[in-house]
Amino acid sequence: MRDQPASTLDDMAEVFDALGNSTRRQILDLLRLTPGISVGELAGHFDTTRVAVMHHLRILEDSGLVISLKEGRVRQLFHNPVPIQLIYDRWTTEYGGFWGSKMADVKYAIEHPQPAETQGGSDGGDRQARVARRDSRKDRRRLA
Amino acid sequence: MAETVKLVSRVVIRGKIDDVWREITKTDTPQLAFFGAQMRYRALSAGSPVQMRTPDAKFTSVVGEILEVTPPHRFSHTMKFTAHDDPYCKVTYELKEVAGGVEFTLISEDVPVGTKTAKDMTRGGDFIVNTLKQIVETGKPALGTRILYAMFGLLAFTTPAKCRSEHWPLEGKTNG
Repeated sequence: MRDQPASTLDDMAEVFDALGNSTRRQILDLLRLTPGISVGELAGHFDTTRVAVMHHLRILEDSGLVISLKEGRVRQLFHNPVPIQLIYDRWTTEYGGFWGSKMADVKYAIEHPQPAETQGGSDGGDRQARVARRDSRKDRRRLA
Repeated sequence: MAETVKLVSRVVIRGKIDDVWREITKTDTPQLAFFGAQMRYRALSAGSPVQMRTPDAKFTSVVGEILEVTPPHRFSHTMKFTAHDDPYCKVTYELKEVAGGVEFTLISEDVPVGTKTAKDMTRGGDFIVNTLKQIVETGKPALGTRILYAMFGLLAFTTPAKCRSEHWPLEGKTNG
């Protein structure tokens, strides 16, 4: 814990609160795809009133997830992923991140199986063959 | 004219504004927030060429020209990755004292969309502000970052020949 930047320990409530709303998550997705979008353009993506969008934006700005910069008379909006990165760093070491992503790969592979005709494709097929060869070598060593 | 985009990353750093300013402008030791590169410039003033080199000075990763120096609040320069054949873009570091620390904002402008430069700037911006925060608050980057830098050293032989510093003299014209 000593190496952990102090601000990652207690400044996260606003970020979690901001992310706990689907409209705000949708806003972040839009800003990620179109950095520098104006408030008016952003509001055009929603059926709700501009006031409601502004309310969500204020919460996102307070949490640090959105940065707004003045460019002339236009307010440009940007997604700032750093607060989410700090949360990731807070609970995930580089080794945990590596194995966590492997587990996520397993989850997606099981939940979204490839169609039979693509399973034998070069990449997937090669990987399966490599795993099979490795397992076979392990078995032989065990038996030796 | 190629389409460009602006990118912004921001973090609040619990530290002194002078310490953050030194971290982003120092030339006497490697800048661990900037991938362990060593900054070089003729003078910390507008018009001076600026470079980021490996600590052994063999390779130059970034070249540009200083546009604005307003200590300890604003530092801006053009930049180009020597590994990529993309046009120059502009980076600005803004420092603002806020309750509990320093609000540090990295703004990248004129980043050519769909280029290798855009890809590196997108990933690099967040990495830089996050690592800068770690350094100022704890004195060093996170373990994962230190391991990454050790890997950089081991993989130095893969750096393209066009990045060798003899091709990028500091005294030479650096901005197009």
